[in-house]
Amino acid sequence: MPIKEYDVLIVGSGHSGGMAAKILTEQGISCLMLNAGPEADYEKDRSLKAAHELPYRGFNKPGRLPHVFQANEFNANQWVDEKEVPYTTPEDAPYNWVRVRLLGGRSLFWARQSFRLSDLEFKAADIDGSGENWPISLSDMAPFYSRVEEIFRVSGRKEGLPQFPDGNFIETNYPPDSESLKRFTELANKRSIPVSKNRSALGKDGLASSINLLLPDALATGKLDIVQNAIVREISVDKDTGLANGAHFIDRHSRREMHVKARVVVLAAGTLESTRLLLNSKICNSSGVMGHYLVDQMYGVSVVASVPEAQDGKTKSGLMGGSSFIPRFRNLTKDDKRNFIKGYCMTISSGGSASPNFFPSYGEELQTKLDRYANSCVSGGIFGERVALYSNHVRIDKNVVDKWGIPVLHIEARDTQNEVNLRKDAADTIEEIFHEAGWEVICKTDQVNPPGYSIHEVGTCRMGDDPKKSVLNKWCQSHDMKNLFVVDGASFVTCGWQNPTMTILSLSMRASEYLAEQMKQRNV
Amino acid sequence: MSIKRRRFVQSLLLTPAAPVALAAVQATPAAAPQQPQPVPQPNTPARQLSRQPQSVPRLPVIHPDVAAKTDQHFFSTEQFAALQKLGNVLMPPIKGNPGALDTGAPEFLDFLVSVSPADRQKLYQNGLDRLNALAKKQFHAPFAELNATQLDSILRPLLVVRYWPEDFPSDPLKNFLAQAHQDFRTATTNSREWAEATAKSGHRFTRGFNGQGMYWAPIDPISEG
Repeated sequence: MPIKEYDVLIVGSGHSGGMAAKILTEQGISCLMLNAGPEADYEKDRSLKAAHELPYRGFNKPGRLPHVFQANEFNANQWVDEKEVPYTTPEDAPYNWVRVRLLGGRSLFWARQSFRLSDLEFKAADIDGSGENWPISLSDMAPFYSRVEEIFRVSGRKEGLPQFPDGNFIETNYPPDSESLKRFTELANKRSIPVSKNRSALGKDGLASSINLLLPDALATGKLDIVQNAIVREISVDKDTGLANGAHFIDRHSRREMHVKARVVVLAAGTLESTRLLLNSKICNSSGVMGHYLVDQMYGVSVVASVPEAQDGKTKSGLMGGSSFIPRFRNLTKDDKRNFIKGYCMTISSGGSASPNFFPSYGEELQTKLDRYANSCVSGGIFGERVALYSNHVRIDKNVVDKWGIPVLHIEARDTQNEVNLRKDAADTIEEIFHEAGWEVICKTDQVNPPGYSIHEVGTCRMGDDPKKSVLNKWCQSHDMKNLFVVDGASFVTCGWQNPTMTILSLSMRASEYLAEQMKQRNV
Repeated sequence: MSIKRRRFVQSLLLTPAAPVALAAVQATPAAAPQQPQPVPQPNTPARQLSRQPQSVPRLPVIHPDVAAKTDQHFFSTEQFAALQKLGNVLMPPIKGNPGALDTGAPEFLDFLVSVSPADRQKLYQNGLDRLNALAKKQFHAPFAELNATQLDSILRPLLVVRYWPEDFPSDPLKNFLAQAHQDFRTATTNSREWAEATAKSGHRFTRGFNGQGMYWAPIDPISEG
């Protein structure tokens, strides 16, 4: 039987790959999708269990997934095994690379917070003088955001804040705020800090993934084939044209080496896997920028306070409960001079309890404290923007290979004083408001988890108009190889404080429509 | 078909090469033209299909903790005695809930640490040795034999505030105590005994996964066999 031929090879099946498949196939373009892992069977692979029924009583298997703080024994099998696909870091600079290789990738498990970037992020260099502007602006992206928001059914409340662009929302009737949240809002507003509500993708049937919102549409066209357990080793290049012409991959189970041909290659393997593949293929890096400007958001800064009227189980109805969202409010203009650039958002939750590790205590004394503070707490946390720096980068570690013999990444990312100052400002601000509210602050930290923890890693193939300073153009197309596109988070120039998913989806939709048009015009 | 022949056919059905042999027996007309015989294919799906059971009962089984106790083998006698004492003081029975000793938490941690990376093993062993050394120095007795006041005078200065469960102090002994405390709480509250006590009391679980969670089994694991 002759080998089937495809127009486009898509590597990766998460949000970005799923969107590329949907857009391209709906335009009549045949696509093959390679995914490194298997398809999960939600009926067969999941079951309700008690912690004591698990082999390690709810502890994860010791030594497994040391960098995935999100992992526990219940979900351990959904993450990429760090022993199968390791990576290296300097000893003094840990990095948490959190990966999923199941069909659908991380789109199966994301938190569904759905925000647009604003021109504070797209044109950040104009505001704070740091790095480069994106070659696109919010006005370029707005039509795509709107369509993505419709597909993902994003619920939200319109605010009219330029730093928190409104979208094509399903209007939500939020229940009235609890008294504790009203108190917080009142005090925040006095400081000119706007308080809003979270924006979230409702998706369908409790899932907002590529496997239920994007790939079914692509498959329905009859133009998409998906191969699972296909671990791509290298992009192949036609010696005569210098263009990509397919990929070499390895069957995960049998280790059989295979090659697939395609006219165009679209990388959507997740920021760092796409960059790893390009670096291992030794292509598309005439700028020397590939791998650099790795950036993600800071998670970990947090303050917890207890509302005295709610302590000892004496809370009254309507006092506690609910949550609020505070979009970025620092450095909105050039005139806002602080000891840091960029900004952060806050999440405020009411009605929680204190954690045992908050107290230098044990036994009955500890239990008494936990009982006292149960359901009386308000907590505040942040997602803080890091600065995209050339020094924060990935490269190939030639001394280490993964289970399939593919050289792994060396990841090097460090925070600077800007990040330290930003998170101190955030923790102090939350604490001041909590104190002002008359609440008992029981724990405060301005420390953050290692870079990567947010699972929002972006950059390393940033886009730009200048081929000497960027890997991709504004269409997520390689400057060096016109038939190679990178449609995941690798193209980001800055990370913003926002969950990047809506932006990744919109960029992928925009790039895929451009690609389809270029293919029709025979330019690619 | 004679009984003798039926037995012969049945015996063929039990042998790996049965289909081919059976075909030969059934091809009785001697004048039938010779057809090329198919080459026996080992374990083809079609061959296996005919032998699949139609209905397989699921039998009730129990968890080993219901019927057996974990062997303690990793820590030395003195270390394990200190670990038991530590578990009892950090996580005693409270308000009808079982404590660390009631749930076999020390024995479970002996197992868990035994299969942990070397740095965690060292942290526990050194930590328990240092608690014993402090007890002997201050009270001339091993840690396991101290009274509540004596225990508190050793433990209290070592307690630290931690914002996140994964934050541990750099001081090795404080680090050990923080980890052991967290491990004892998890081993106790995730135990079968805790689940049963909570169910009896009608109270909700106070931590973890409300006692249960959606467990992902290994998904399409690679066979190393």
